[in-house]
Amino acid sequence: MTASTRLPYLATAALSGLLFGAGLYVSQMVDPLKVLRFLDFTAIPSGGWDPSLAFVIVPAIAVMFVAVRIGRRRNAPVFASEFNEPEFHHIDAPLVLGAALFGIGWGMSGICPGPAIALIAFWPPDLLVFLVAMFIGSYAGALVIPSGHDRRLALAR
Amino acid sequence: MDSFSPIPALAGGVLIGLASALLWLGNGRIAGISGLFGQLLPPARTEIWRLVFLVALVLGALAASCRLPGVGVGGAGGRPARLAARPAGGSVPAPLWIAVSGLLIGFGTKIGNGCTSGHGVCGLARLSKRSFVAVGVFFAVAIVTVTLTGIV
Repeated sequence: MTASTRLPYLATAALSGLLFGAGLYVSQMVDPLKVLRFLDFTAIPSGGWDPSLAFVIVPAIAVMFVAVRIGRRRNAPVFASEFNEPEFHHIDAPLVLGAALFGIGWGMSGICPGPAIALIAFWPPDLLVFLVAMFIGSYAGALVIPSGHDRRLALAR
Repeated sequence: MDSFSPIPALAGGVLIGLASALLWLGNGRIAGISGLFGQLLPPARTEIWRLVFLVALVLGALAASCRLPGVGVGGAGGRPARLAARPAGGSVPAPLWIAVSGLLIGFGTKIGNGCTSGHGVCGLARLSKRSFVAVGVFFAVAIVTVTLTGIV
């Protein structure tokens, strides 16, 4: 039995997911229209801009920042043998192009992947269309890039 | 500013931060939702914890909407959740607009290795150079996209 199938590991994943979903509901980031009201900077002069998203992401980063500091003083997480640090370090074209394409999609709908999953709880019309499309897009991305994990790593490290 | 809600936003942000902190310190994993979602099925190696996390995420939103009804959208006490309509005056059918958005988000987050959670929360907290670039790009592009489409 590998570490990732043991009960404490799965329970941690479950509790984390529960907190994440609750946070998305409480912060109302599950509402794509609210996210769009943040992204609509043209509403700033008229006073109609909704800065809520910034008030969500800043404390989230702050809490995680502390956790990362705590983690650096430990050799390993509690229920696994190592911290899975991202392997890529350099800025490369897939990163910038991918972020830009994500930005276009996000601006079209106000939905990012976390809220897309959380919205399953409330099942608005057309959500299934969105989820299937997101999965196909993700799958296509995995086929296109990396063309070999090691090659990508050699480029981006 | 009728919809600005700083207190629920801060509280929700702390919950999302705690969720990310727990997954990192407990299991050594980044709470990046696009990555978790994109690696559910082959060619990625299916790992049960990803499914557990995502199911719990749905249940967490549902449970919170029952315990704290009427915060806004969702649940029995809230306004019904709905996706944004396509821009007014456009001739594109709404489901097609949503599908294109979903395709771009799935593809972009896969090749860019992250979304608002993985790059935005975890990456910035780790002071990752790649995440600072990704977050700057996707926020800027999203803001321009909203301006150009006039979807709000």
